[in-house]
Amino acid sequence: MTFLLQSIFNGLLAGCIYALFAMGLTLIYGVLNFVNFAHGELIMWGAYFLYLFMESPLGLPLPIALIPALCLTILLGLSMDRFAFKPLRQANRLTLLITALGLSFFLRNGAQLFWGAELRTYGFEIKRGWKIFNISITTNQIAIILTTLVCIAVVYLLLHRSRIGKSMRAVSDNLELARVAGINTRRTIRFAWIMSSSLACIGGILLALDTNLQPGMGMINLVKAFAAILLGGVGNIWGALLGGIVIGFAENLGVLIISTGYKDAIAFGIMVLLLLLKPPILYGSQD
Amino acid sequence: MKKIFYVLFTLLGVSLILAPVAKAQDTYKIGAAIALSGSIAVYGEGFKKAIDLATEEINGKGGAKGKKIEILYEDNKSTPKDCVTAVRKLITVDKVPVIIGPAASSNFMAAAPVAQESKVVMLSAQGAAPALTKAGEYIFRVFPSDVLQGKGISDLCLQLKYMEVPIMYVNNDWGLGLKNVFVENFKKAGGKVTDEIPYDEKKTDYRTELIRATKGNPKAVVNLTYIVEGSVMFKQAYEMGINTQWICGSAAKAPKLVELAGKAVEGIIGTYPVFSQETKDYQAFRSLWMKKYGDAKIPIFGEYNYDMVHLIARAIDQGGYTSDGIRKALFEVAKGYRGVTGDKTFDQDRGVGSEYGVWTVKDGQIIDYKK
Repeated sequence: MTFLLQSIFNGLLAGCIYALFAMGLTLIYGVLNFVNFAHGELIMWGAYFLYLFMESPLGLPLPIALIPALCLTILLGLSMDRFAFKPLRQANRLTLLITALGLSFFLRNGAQLFWGAELRTYGFEIKRGWKIFNISITTNQIAIILTTLVCIAVVYLLLHRSRIGKSMRAVSDNLELARVAGINTRRTIRFAWIMSSSLACIGGILLALDTNLQPGMGMINLVKAFAAILLGGVGNIWGALLGGIVIGFAENLGVLIISTGYKDAIAFGIMVLLLLLKPPILYGSQD
Repeated sequence: MKKIFYVLFTLLGVSLILAPVAKAQDTYKIGAAIALSGSIAVYGEGFKKAIDLATEEINGKGGAKGKKIEILYEDNKSTPKDCVTAVRKLITVDKVPVIIGPAASSNFMAAAPVAQESKVVMLSAQGAAPALTKAGEYIFRVFPSDVLQGKGISDLCLQLKYMEVPIMYVNNDWGLGLKNVFVENFKKAGGKVTDEIPYDEKKTDYRTELIRATKGNPKAVVNLTYIVEGSVMFKQAYEMGINTQWICGSAAKAPKLVELAGKAVEGIIGTYPVFSQETKDYQAFRSLWMKKYGDAKIPIFGEYNYDMVHLIARAIDQGGYTSDGIRKALFEVAKGYRGVTGDKTFDQDRGVGSEYGVWTVKDGQIIDYKK
């Protein structure tokens, strides 16, 4: 029983992180209509930026270091768009895809050049988790769940209550029509990048807090996020949220039945099945 | 602007052509396809230090067969694919007759057939997978096979009266090979393996694997892990409040593990191939290390790498700078050779023997385990 409960909890945790990644990924997809394969590197750089400010010589405490880290990640996201994707706005999807892949390699190896390939941590003391209903929960894990909830709330408010969010949804629905209706698409795209980068940065930091920092950390989890957005219907932000959580559960509960060696195969299995079957429930209307 | 580019390109071209010529045949070149980036770069840096130390020492004494030796490093990026590329480059472009092979058995085994086909000698200083030297007569190892270590871990479990254990292992050639030897020996001795949990390398979250392994609160869990995976896992096990005796192999026995995982690895034990640190050779090695690097923190497998370079130099000295010369001479020079890691006599499988000891972590230090 404990085993099952702990697996469910771990699934929820993994799901929260995948959901944060998937939401950022799908935001850009919605507006620009391409999959940003370099999103994983935004995640990783976000986590490393925090590391940069928390380590010597700066040695800032976490809440303060968070601000410049977030700003730098947003800046990185915006420059990605400005220098790599903007000149290709009219190009076909394949060109964008290859550009994103190239950017991903560039940024990943850049981080490796800077910080090395070795594993790093934020250097917090390791603590025993609390035992609640016999399952162990650490402070960081509670922070992950709470932060995810806050992020979801903020994203909801921005998308549905603010003017810019509404125009983003309009652009996501139909770029041309939105432009004709007088929506400033440039501003909207920029805003989508800011949101996507912020989600990536926060997700990356949470992931690194819970586990470790490694240049490959974004890449591995991006694939899961990708499965999540497919599951939730591409471009649909709430679908991505749900998809992330489902993938998290599926992975962690799946190993109760099959060997742990195939843990990663579960997410891919779901992805392949979805691509083959294309169930209409998932590929229905956007939002 | 364009002109500048042309000039730069021409310069680059000229330097590429001139560089090898200028240095040609002044030295005997030895290839080294080791991990300088990627997931196991954490090991590679230590190997390089040990190899450099041995090279410097050999060259200080006049080199081999009248010439100095030189190590050509080629980053294998820690992946089997890039190991093959690195080894192929060393063979075809640099034309070396002998190569220091990649660490991690799966990486080494990916590259070994390339060396064997090209008839180039390749050595491993840390490859432990039983099947490692099966690639052919040009493949050697100066590190003992896991056939011995698997039995060592099984004996340790029996000795500590852990008769029922689950086993976790890295899902690659090394982990699987060692796991098989362990399970075979352990069952033969009357032990019971309750579960087998393979896991992938380089992941950041091993909680699921951990809860599966500790299902039913076993008294001890055998975990065949590396430094990075081990540190992540033991940290998460600690956070999850798992209380069990971890039993590891030799690949986790590193100061870096303690540095990364802190108090989470307190009390874990493991087996490792032992050699006496009291010998004159070892003392000399240690003082050389201190002199060059300023500390006595000898990285994991450092001693084996050091011995390996010495064996290669001796083989070149005796057999000449050709791969067949080196291959034949290796058997002769190694026979009865006592390096810092003990007797390096090659058996018919081109491997070496060893004794096994038990290590543990106490107060952040890796020490010999005493019951």
